[in-house]
Amino acid sequence: MDALIQNIINALQWGSFYALIALGYTLVYGVLLLINFAHGDIFMVGAYIAYFAAVFLLGGHGEGLGLPPLLVFGLTVPISMILTAGVGVTLERIAYRPLRRKGAHRLYVVITALMCGLVLENGNLALFGASRKKFPELVDKAVYTFGNVSVTNLKIMVIVAAVLVFLFLHFIVTRTRIGMAMRAISWDRLAIPLMGVPVDTVIVFTFVLGSGMAGLAGILFAMSYPILDPYMGAIIGWKAFIAAVVGGIGDIRGAFVGGFLLGFIEIGVVAFFPSTLRDLFAFTILLVILWIKPTGIFGVARTTKI
Amino acid sequence: MSETLLEVKDLRVAYGRIEALHGVSFSVNQGEIVTLIGANGAGKTTTLTSIARLPPPEAPKVASGDILYRGESILGVPPHDVVSKLNVALVPEGRHIFGNLTVEENLTLAAYPRRKAPASEAEAAFKTVYDLFPRLAERRRQRSEQLSGGEQQMLAVGRALMSNCQFIMLDEPSMGLSPLLMQLVFKTLRQLNEEQGMTILLVEQNANMALRLAHRGYVLDTGEIIAEGSADELMDDPEVKKAYLGG
Repeated sequence: MDALIQNIINALQWGSFYALIALGYTLVYGVLLLINFAHGDIFMVGAYIAYFAAVFLLGGHGEGLGLPPLLVFGLTVPISMILTAGVGVTLERIAYRPLRRKGAHRLYVVITALMCGLVLENGNLALFGASRKKFPELVDKAVYTFGNVSVTNLKIMVIVAAVLVFLFLHFIVTRTRIGMAMRAISWDRLAIPLMGVPVDTVIVFTFVLGSGMAGLAGILFAMSYPILDPYMGAIIGWKAFIAAVVGGIGDIRGAFVGGFLLGFIEIGVVAFFPSTLRDLFAFTILLVILWIKPTGIFGVARTTKI
Repeated sequence: MSETLLEVKDLRVAYGRIEALHGVSFSVNQGEIVTLIGANGAGKTTTLTSIARLPPPEAPKVASGDILYRGESILGVPPHDVVSKLNVALVPEGRHIFGNLTVEENLTLAAYPRRKAPASEAEAAFKTVYDLFPRLAERRRQRSEQLSGGEQQMLAVGRALMSNCQFIMLDEPSMGLSPLLMQLVFKTLRQLNEEQGMTILLVEQNANMALRLAHRGYVLDTGEIIAEGSADELMDDPEVKKAYLGG
């Protein structure tokens, strides 16, 4: 019983990371029908931004500001989210928007996204070298033990953050006018300017949301697994993308369900089998889900009325 | 003579290398209902998307000529500002409603140009639209893709009204509607014109209905205007009769 609860908590934590990253894929896809393959690397950049912000604010060795760790944490979260959002918007501005203006086929935009991801990875490698970075400890680790179940405050924080982000985004998408525009644009792009809504504003807002949450995932991940390297976004990005597709890409509920599903499957497999089988089993199960429902769990096949 | 609201001057536009309008000129005065009639492919939709400043590939590029609104060229105005700053709305061909949104969400989104106005203004706009089209009020919580074709057309007109427009362009509003619904939509347009002074530019293939509603009309044929005059004149014109009114 204790082992089960322990595994559920671990699965929720991993699911939270996947969900936070998956929603970036799903938001951009929902608006542009573009798979932003650079998104995993935007998450990586988010973790690095958090690292540099934290190190600078913490100080030490006679440099930086020398602020107390808890205050540093409180500042690093918004700083990483804002700056990572800036990175996402910059990519949109310099890479995707020019192609869109020229009416390029979606295939070229997807290839551009892949290349942007590689540029971010290798740009990081060139700037900061291949050595890994150790993320400083910002929050004193507390372990709460109930019987044989132990939970760290960090795990709780990650899970709570994912839930809050979901509620926040759900509110935006269903209740606000810009959220309605985000849903409407995927249905009929042409009619958006006819409503007086600038298409670019909707797209930029979408990138701000998706990349900002990748920045949040970046700092939370770096605090939980404090070793950073330029390729850290690649595998987790692919997995989150698959989670988004399985959940039904284009729907934020799908990103969260898919993310948590992947977390549960991975932890579940490891609980019973050698950990080397984890990804094989996980992706086989996801394949079967797509085989049964190709549009993903929340996806709907679109119908048009003449 | 009332003020000229819209003036299209010797407009030439092209999709890629193919010229679709070969120097079209016409004007619409404040408070008027003007119709552009013509057969398929005459350039009616092209004219409206050009005025709405939609970007390519949906709309063509302007090669020469000018489009003036209240005396000023709007060629440099982005499409969303045509709606939100100039208060010119287009009800596009094929309606283009957002099927994944509810009726009410479609209308709420269309009120985007009023987002800085007090909430009471948007409420009044909702009331106007729901009074005009009680069917929409009944179905306001439904996903709009579930509406019938006629209801979707009402929604498309309703959205334009939510934007606070003073000038409304409609592209084939009768398309796919039963005669009864067609009459309802046309009756609504007349009501808007007479009661609110709405200026209307109507593009139609159904020349008969359009000329009965309009004050003036232009006949467009393969990118050129071949006839113009008051609606009565055009209805009596033997050429127009022969080509567009069925004898």
